[in-house]
Amino acid sequence: MTTTLDAPPPLPQPNMLQSFGQWLRQPGFLTASPVLIFFLIGFVGPLVIVLGFSFVPERTFGFHGDWTVDNYVHIVSESYYISFLWSFGLAAATVACCLLISYPVSYGLARVFGRWAAPVMLILVIPLFVSENVRLFGWYLVLLKGGGILAGSAKALFGVETGTLLYSPGTILMGMVYVYLPYTLFPTMLGLSLVPRDQMDAASDLGANRWQIFREVELPIAMPGILIGSLLTFVLAVGAISEAKLLGGANIVVVAHAILHEFTYAQNWPLGSAISMFAIAITGVLVIIVMRRLDLDRLLGRK
Amino acid sequence: MERRSKRWVNSLIVVWTGAVLLFFFVPIAGVIISSFGKSRYFRFPVRAWSTKWYDQTINANLTENLHVTSFYVAACVAVIALVLGFFGALAFARYDWKGRIFYQRLIMLPIFFPQAVLGLALLLWFTYVGVLPSWEAAVFAHLVWIVPIVTLVISIQVYGFDVSQEEAAFDLGANRFQVFREVTMPALAPGLFSGGLFAFLLSWGNFPLSTYTSGADSTVTEWLYTKMSSGYTPMIPTIGAISVYGSVIILFLGYIFLVARRRRIEKRA
Amino acid sequence: MAEGEPILRIENVTKQFGKLSAVNDVSLDIVDGEFFTIVGPSGSGKTTLLRMLAGLDKPSVGDVILRGKRVNDVPANKRPTCMVFQSLALFNHRTVGQNIEFSLKMRGVSRAARRERCMELMNVVRLQEDYYAKGVTKCSGGERQRVALARALASDPDIMFFDEPLSAIDYQLRKLLEVELKDLHRETGKTFVYITHSLEEAMVMSDRIGIMQAGCLIQIGSPDEIYTQPLNKFVSEFMGEVNTLPVKAGANGKFDCADLGTQLAGPASANGSDSGYLVIRPESMRFLDDPAEADNHVKGSLFNEYAMGSRVQYHVRAGTQMLVVEKLREQAYKGQINDDVMIGWDVKDSVLVSD
Repeated sequence: MTTTLDAPPPLPQPNMLQSFGQWLRQPGFLTASPVLIFFLIGFVGPLVIVLGFSFVPERTFGFHGDWTVDNYVHIVSESYYISFLWSFGLAAATVACCLLISYPVSYGLARVFGRWAAPVMLILVIPLFVSENVRLFGWYLVLLKGGGILAGSAKALFGVETGTLLYSPGTILMGMVYVYLPYTLFPTMLGLSLVPRDQMDAASDLGANRWQIFREVELPIAMPGILIGSLLTFVLAVGAISEAKLLGGANIVVVAHAILHEFTYAQNWPLGSAISMFAIAITGVLVIIVMRRLDLDRLLGRK
Repeated sequence: MERRSKRWVNSLIVVWTGAVLLFFFVPIAGVIISSFGKSRYFRFPVRAWSTKWYDQTINANLTENLHVTSFYVAACVAVIALVLGFFGALAFARYDWKGRIFYQRLIMLPIFFPQAVLGLALLLWFTYVGVLPSWEAAVFAHLVWIVPIVTLVISIQVYGFDVSQEEAAFDLGANRFQVFREVTMPALAPGLFSGGLFAFLLSWGNFPLSTYTSGADSTVTEWLYTKMSSGYTPMIPTIGAISVYGSVIILFLGYIFLVARRRRIEKRA
Repeated sequence: MAEGEPILRIENVTKQFGKLSAVNDVSLDIVDGEFFTIVGPSGSGKTTLLRMLAGLDKPSVGDVILRGKRVNDVPANKRPTCMVFQSLALFNHRTVGQNIEFSLKMRGVSRAARRERCMELMNVVRLQEDYYAKGVTKCSGGERQRVALARALASDPDIMFFDEPLSAIDYQLRKLLEVELKDLHRETGKTFVYITHSLEEAMVMSDRIGIMQAGCLIQIGSPDEIYTQPLNKFVSEFMGEVNTLPVKAGANGKFDCADLGTQLAGPASANGSDSGYLVIRPESMRFLDDPAEADNHVKGSLFNEYAMGSRVQYHVRAGTQMLVVEKLREQAYKGQINDDVMIGWDVKDSVLVSD
């Protein structure tokens, strides 16, 4: 479209201030500005405050000019790392389970179901819009000791007395997989729908078997979607609080719960902020690594 | 041989999807079943059915308050998120500007952020700037998470929009406002509709952000959490079930509306 | 045809994007009622130029003058011109009728008058009346083309601009629409400004053609002038397959051609430069039995032959060149691949062009 200008007419080149003014007047920036301002007030501001609070002395509720790193030392020296291990371990396990469960379903939605894909998807969307508390409460009813749906059915159908599955790490994991599965499922499906059928046919025609097609064609092309889904699930799972509380009782204290505890019961905002910053830092690094690899225009615009 | 193995794999996928659907709906069904149980405590199989908990719940002031609060929050979130998201999506997908790639990644960040931590950070921020926790504060908190999502949903529609349609309208004598009203808005309408639907439903079901920011104005999800962690009352399944009905009805109405609109456009044959 | 009052004049127009200039110091007069086509490869700046003429972009430097009035600052919606876009830019959420009536609706024309005008236009572009209430997404490629045409015609513009509207259409339909467009030009008597990357398409329809290369308008002329007197190698090669032989002035008024390793007779150089390219069209080449049958002769071997319906094309390897010869089917060369052949041409059929 363009060629370098090697001949007149020479136009006055704008100085830096003028270029900045021009940049501000781009329609793109103008339309972005409401969201950006909102983002500044609603996201950057709170983060800065949390960061600030994580450096003030214990049990203070404002900024008085004393700064300290004690809170961070506290996290490392005390047993909070156990909460981190639980949270990140559970989150990683959740992502793995969600990927295994959702891949075949995504594949089905993108390739197998045809005109049934839309209604099936609609049904799969519903849980996303039902509060996770309601859904977890449902599991509570299913797993309830003695009179739960599982135990009740076992007793009525087979005459077997069963204990309860509640209050174990496995159950917490199941609850998390259950709550966050849609967040893996839909991005994965988006990724798989980007794989052109004729490329798979071409690979097959060139002699690739099903596994080779998967590894060489399908997976690399679907990867952005899979990455987004995994990341979303992981981050949300790290922040999970209801699952452990409702299905796990008081046995396991996850990070989100530890933070909540510091802010409410213990009234130690600085320590709570420090724990939050720790969690933010770890997830933030992951998010940035993954984001750098994504081309959002291609993923969403299908160009 | 090849074809047969393919059919086999496909039926396996169908069975698998069925199992996932079951996994999705067993607990929801559990809530609905128990809301119709007659006894005070849930026992399965249910021996006696009754709608008395519904009568009680509907007659209680509390139920109305909870749902009205949730509805206000969700409706405000949907409207504001639509306006912000519409412009955000134009910047995301319509205009080619310096800084766009950075902007695209930046506004995604709140989605990829532990919600409980975000809610807490917002609470600290509100305290710092002197905003009292209330349902209005919860609206703001929901928006931080939902605006990026709505922006993405609308962006998908914007990507599919041929910008030269706007130029054509302009060239045909329309002024800027007419271009917007006659061409841009109608072409982006499905995206705006889904965006609004998403915003409403995500806000309706949200717990981690509400719990920190809504203060005394309790939403349905907060009330459920509090009651569940402190003990069982027969109103939990009933209110939970009512919340499910609300989501499902709104979702289906929205879906039917979209399908009907597409049919209407396609029928012009 | 090129005589007469210019309806649209551009004077020294330049369009810069940052430090790059897409259109570079272009001046042009377009005469009232003519069919003017701007031809250039993609990236030559022709779309940018057209957008400035239509008022969708403003020139960085220079003036656009419409009927004697400078219109640089008049936006597209206030100009009596209309454009048919490359993507057609039909309003997909509207019916055929709503698309065609759009400009009338914007001008506040009553529903009944709009409908009447729409029916008239659908008749002009040969769309059946029952398409009125059909969604544009349900129309075929050719029908969408006609809707776009009718829509642009609706407000009775003085000038119609076309931004490669036929580029995405298959060959047969394109040929049909080219003819229809030329007929429409005749019937309406409007000024048409058309851009395309196909010189062949331009030849069929245009009164005058302008060739663009790298942001500059390098040659303007009638189709015949462009065909017989191409300005340079770029223009001559743009017309499709031609033989272009690099030559240098040699002894006794002839040219040395290193590629063929021989001396060639050629026309007198127009600008007196001593090197350039000798351009010979494939249909001017012929197979010789005797060197005396033509002004120039070259020996080579037949590489391959290609049947092209009414004509047959031959590639002949000679020196380091592959020469193209084209014959009518009735005059086809009877021989075998790899035959040693002699081909030649007359000086009057060759043109000497600069680089």
